[in-house]
Amino acid sequence: MSIFCDECGKNIATVFLIKVAGSEISRAQLCEECSKKMDEATEAASLIALMPQIISGMQSAVDGNLQDEVFSGEPIVCEECGTSFNDFKKLGYLGCSACYRVLGDPLENVIFDFHGSNKHTGKTPTKLSREARLRLKLAELERSLRKRIAEEEYEAAAAVRDEIKQIESMLDSERSKSEKE
Amino acid sequence: MRRNKFFTVRPEWASQRGPGYPVILASRARLARNIEGIPFPPAADEDELERVRGMVLESVARRVADDEEWDIKFAEELSRDQLLLLAEQHLISRSFVEKTQGRAVAARWISGRGVIVNAQNHAKIFAIFAGAQLMKAWEVADKIDSNIERDVVYSYDQRLGYLTSSPTDVGTGLRVSIMLHLPALVITGEIGKTMLALGQSEILVRGMHGRGAGVSGNLFVISNKRTLGLSERDIIAQVETVSRKVAENERTARKILLQEYKLDISDRVFRTLGVLERARKLEFLEAVELLSLVKLGVDMEILPISDFNLVDVVMRIGNGHIKALKGFELDEEEVEKERAVHVRRILDL
Repeated sequence: MSIFCDECGKNIATVFLIKVAGSEISRAQLCEECSKKMDEATEAASLIALMPQIISGMQSAVDGNLQDEVFSGEPIVCEECGTSFNDFKKLGYLGCSACYRVLGDPLENVIFDFHGSNKHTGKTPTKLSREARLRLKLAELERSLRKRIAEEEYEAAAAVRDEIKQIESMLDSERSKSEKE
Repeated sequence: MRRNKFFTVRPEWASQRGPGYPVILASRARLARNIEGIPFPPAADEDELERVRGMVLESVARRVADDEEWDIKFAEELSRDQLLLLAEQHLISRSFVEKTQGRAVAARWISGRGVIVNAQNHAKIFAIFAGAQLMKAWEVADKIDSNIERDVVYSYDQRLGYLTSSPTDVGTGLRVSIMLHLPALVITGEIGKTMLALGQSEILVRGMHGRGAGVSGNLFVISNKRTLGLSERDIIAQVETVSRKVAENERTARKILLQEYKLDISDRVFRTLGVLERARKLEFLEAVELLSLVKLGVDMEILPISDFNLVDVVMRIGNGHIKALKGFELDEEEVEKERAVHVRRILDL
């Protein structure tokens, strides 16, 4: 789905509308500017719902970044594929997976405003890096530790703690290895 | 054109009755995936698209299409009409039709599952089932995904999950949708309230057909907005809960129509049936509107004709389908004429 205004196609949509006219129902997403124009042009009766501004703040994040570019004079550009935040704003898609890292906070804000989250909690690939797998294991052990303590199973908790220490040292060596590389 | 089964199959998800019939028509799950180290399709060059296509198709052929029969086609091999036909089956998007280079479709059409290569993302894995069966649809897509993953390394970030060309798909890459037929909610005007309630949740509603964002034939699609921060199961539960509630409202509205407005609704569906019986040419969207009301009349046991599956019939009267049946050389008016004939034949009028 697109993140842009249905009307002008240029700005990021921040206002969500459902229009009911007779049996015609349509959904629209508009930017601040076009929604104002629409308000003036539309009869109140056909405009039944002004949906919550789920992506409010998205536009300001974008504008903020543009100003950064103006002041610093150096737009952020992905070194892998050459996509800039402006390109993303214009086209609605990113060039490559590195863009997610390179485009930094402005993109991060867009993601958070859209999803209300910035943390994946679903499926993970089995072919994760060793470090990633250790991290997941660590998080799982920490959860288990809290549970054991809450249930006053101290002996079991001690065993889990030892395991956590082991994973932590494995993580450390993994990290120093990747730094050397 | 050689007529092969690729274009004449009637997918089970459209012709069978699933849970929630006749209000809930179908459930679909799709996963967006990309291969690490190669730009997303919109930014990739010809060679990169070729590489992706090779990797994905090879994996599909080896891991998935081994124990069941899949059709694998480069998009360039398909004519515009053939691609439109796939779009009518909700398998590719209309924009896929416009650009074919480096793209591919691999699918087992009859069971409504497949992989679209190099559309917005390197791989779009989908599965569709009849009725309210989102979990099953996701499980099938998930299994295909895990199989492909044995051969490729996906773009994946520890914190953001699966990386996609649009940040609206990032995380699980999962978008699930349920197709519903809601004529009584529209006729009674209750749809406004329903939509208003949905507008406050993290749910997207759109029309299945229709011009722009409009709705035709009272066919709606409910899907998740968020793909990040929720697990796959949470996303499925979210969309399923909302869809069940909407379907329940539709059933209530039908009861009210039958109890309080029986003559009005009978008059309306009989008149509509009359138009379908007598029409000598039918535009697609007009036919969809008429079929929707006739179907309501059948569901409410007002009309004395045998039951039909709306989504199946709507699919079979699309431009692409009529042309595949009657000849790709037909012009628009000839298609409309054939459509009127075809509708009468399907409904046995």
